[in-house]
This record gives sequence, C-alpha cells and structure tokens, in this order.
Amino acid sequence: MMTVGRLARRFGLSRSTLLYYDSIGLLVPSGRSRANYRLYSEEDVVRMEQIALYREAGLSLEAIADILAGESGEAVQALERRLESINEEISDLRRQQQTIVALLRERDRLSGTRILTKDRWVEILRGSGLDEEGMWRWHAEFERTAPEAHQDFLESLGIRKKEIAAIRNWSRSASNP
Amino acid sequence: MTTANVTKEQWVEIFRAIGLDEDMMWKWHREFEARHPDGHQAFLEWIGIPAGEVEGIREKSR
Repeated sequence: MMTVGRLARRFGLSRSTLLYYDSIGLLVPSGRSRANYRLYSEEDVVRMEQIALYREAGLSLEAIADILAGESGEAVQALERRLESINEEISDLRRQQQTIVALLRERDRLSGTRILTKDRWVEILRGSGLDEEGMWRWHAEFERTAPEAHQDFLESLGIRKKEIAAIRNWSRSASNP
Repeated sequence: MTTANVTKEQWVEIFRAIGLDEDMMWKWHREFEARHPDGHQAFLEWIGIPAGEVEGIREKSR
C-alpha cells in the first residue's frame, strides 16, 4: 500500500491533486491506515496510470471518469497502448520543436552580428583614399570576383534587400559593359 | 555573417583591381583599426585569416 505522498511523487503530481481526485470519486484510495491516512493499493496505482495516460492525451477529468467507468476489455487495452505511444511521439516531436526553435533563435542572433554599418564602412574606404567612383569600382570588382560574398557582405552592413539588388545590378552592368 | 566566403587573396585582388596599392591598403587597415577595432577583427576573421595573423595585422595597424 502506498501513501498519498508517495503516489504523488511517483506521478509527479501534488498531494492536493490526489486529494481532489478522491473528492470527485475519480481515484478513491482502497484503504486507510490506523491513523486514518489514505492508502493506495496496486490496483489504485494501475488506475492512476490510466488517469495519467488520458490526462496526457488532453482528456477532461469528467471524460476520464466516464471511460474508466466502462468495461475494460482487450480492445480498450489496445487503444490505451496506442494512446501511450502517440503521447510519446508527441513529446518527442515537442522536444524536436523546441530544439529547432532554439537553433533558429541562435541563427538570428548570429546573422544579427554586424561587422559594421554601411556608413562606417564608407567612412573607412574614404579614409583610405577611395572616392565615390573608386567605391563603385570596388562593388563591380567584388561582384565579379565573389558575387555571393558580395551579397553576404552587403547584408552584414545592414543594407536593405532592395538596395542590395540595385547595387549588384549596377555592379554587374559595370563589369560587363 | 556568414555563409559565402571571400578569401584574403580575393579581397586583396579586388582592392588591387580598383587601384589601391600596398600603402593604401595599410592605410585602410589603420583606418579600420582606429575607428572600429572590433569590426576590424571580425572582418579579418570573416576573410578566413588565422588568429595569429589577425593579431599581427592589427598590431601593425595601430
């Protein structure tokens, strides 16, 4: 026989949840100790396993009580086994979902790191002696030598997609007159 | 940054093609280092320069 505290720990529930199940007649402990504490039998534990299974599947306590009140033949047991495996698959999928969300967040964080802003980059190029025309030649050369990296670099400077497309268009026409 | 890589050699080639000579490229490093040291570091890493060489370039740019 098992006390309410031990049963609660075993199923990860609170004592008050089990007391509530008792009060609505969903899971009434079979025995009482001499000091009148609730004691749960092996059969009670099996019933609790079924309750947990249906809870995980999202059924209301009322619906669970209805199901458990009916006869439990082989068909019901087969359905319960199937339900159990579906529950496991769903929690597997939920773990995968959380992992993917975490990865996507990480990716956003990484692509959000900028080497510089556009203005600062222009400042540096100008500071090293490049004029406007030189910068356009730089774009044209970059586009010709490493088009994908050109795109990537412009994105990292925080330039909008439309503007990038325009710059690259211009660069292509300049390098292929 | 970053999926598409441009190598150091390609970068130098681009700069040379638009008329930046060795002196101007060092000036460019100095500008970069003086104004935005973190950006300079990130940029040198981006073009695949090993950590030791990055440190050398930045040292020379200061």
